[in-house]
Amino acid sequence: MAEPKRRGCLGCSFPVLIIIVIIALAIVILGFLAGPIGSKLVGEMEWLSWMTVQSPEPHLPAPVLFHILGLPITNTVLAGWITVIFLVIFSWVITRRMKLVPGRLQTAFEFLLGWMFDLCKSIAGEENGRRFFPVVCTIFLFVLFNAWLSLIPGFGSIEIAVHGHHYELLRGSNTDVNTPLAIALVSFIFVIFFGLKDARMGFVKQYLNFGRFFRSTGRIFKGKFEPIEIFSGAIDIFVGGLEVLSLLIRNVSFTFRLFGNMTAGEILLLIAAFLVPWVLALPFYGLELLVGFVQALIFAGLTLVFVTMAVSPHEGEAH
Amino acid sequence: MDAEAIKMLAAGLAIGLGALGPGIGIGILGYGAMQGLARNPEARGPIMTNMILAIAMAEAIGIYALIVAIILAMIA
Repeated sequence: MAEPKRRGCLGCSFPVLIIIVIIALAIVILGFLAGPIGSKLVGEMEWLSWMTVQSPEPHLPAPVLFHILGLPITNTVLAGWITVIFLVIFSWVITRRMKLVPGRLQTAFEFLLGWMFDLCKSIAGEENGRRFFPVVCTIFLFVLFNAWLSLIPGFGSIEIAVHGHHYELLRGSNTDVNTPLAIALVSFIFVIFFGLKDARMGFVKQYLNFGRFFRSTGRIFKGKFEPIEIFSGAIDIFVGGLEVLSLLIRNVSFTFRLFGNMTAGEILLLIAAFLVPWVLALPFYGLELLVGFVQALIFAGLTLVFVTMAVSPHEGEAH
Repeated sequence: MDAEAIKMLAAGLAIGLGALGPGIGIGILGYGAMQGLARNPEARGPIMTNMILAIAMAEAIGIYALIVAIILAMIA
């Protein structure tokens, strides 16, 4: 049975398609001319006020909107709460009526979680992957939906007046340096907790390795002077110090990676929307979707890798 | 040069020079991943995952420079 030959392209007949292309081109050209590049090239023209975009003024510290019990609530905190509420309601709606043959939404979520679960198991091993999965996947989902919710059109355009200044009511929670820092600390404590729980002294010995130094200096009093042993003991202590340093710097790197990527994305969208209104921001929206996903994956994946490194026995214990 | 000009110059230099190192690093990573792929096309999945993780590590350094540049240009 041959399909009936369809005329047209992309589901539209040709006249409709041509009209759509013309409208899209008109929007591109108008947007280009209305932006600062176009007005530099062609000269200032009279535009309606809704056609031009004001010069963006991104501010890094999140403005405080109001106080609850003396705690300052910024717009990024509000966005973080919205993400959490969204995730809770979303999960509740999906798991309320689970079916053996899943529906569309359930399939999508099962695919996402199953993929994350497989990643956990492939990196940390069968049993450990099962244990680490909840925290790792929570970090993943929070960062991911935080980034994606702030890309919804209209998310950042609600304004609120506080003390005579106009601020956005909502701003992506990751663009405040405190949120990435909080998630980084959670992952730091998670790593240390499982390291101490599973590897016990092996984990501590990685960082505070005084054993050989004290043993070899103790032997001096027994009349055995071994300068090479003392020297390598001192090197062990130094290496332990380096490990401590890398453990702490990891937090800074976690924090600024997420914060920098998200903030740079936000500013990039602002600048793109300012340079060529309406049009230029669209490809960057696609880029930001990808960046949000990759950053969430990296945050969760690195946490997983570090905690796996912390619980697995090291070669230093072998000798 | 007044202070504002020097600030702008510093911001541009910060991101420009700070992007050099990560750029080279990501190039080397991509080279390694492509070679691995060419030799062993079945290992596409793990190579991609590890490459993206490593690229993110390299990229983080560029992001530090970007933060410094943003702070210089907009806040300081």
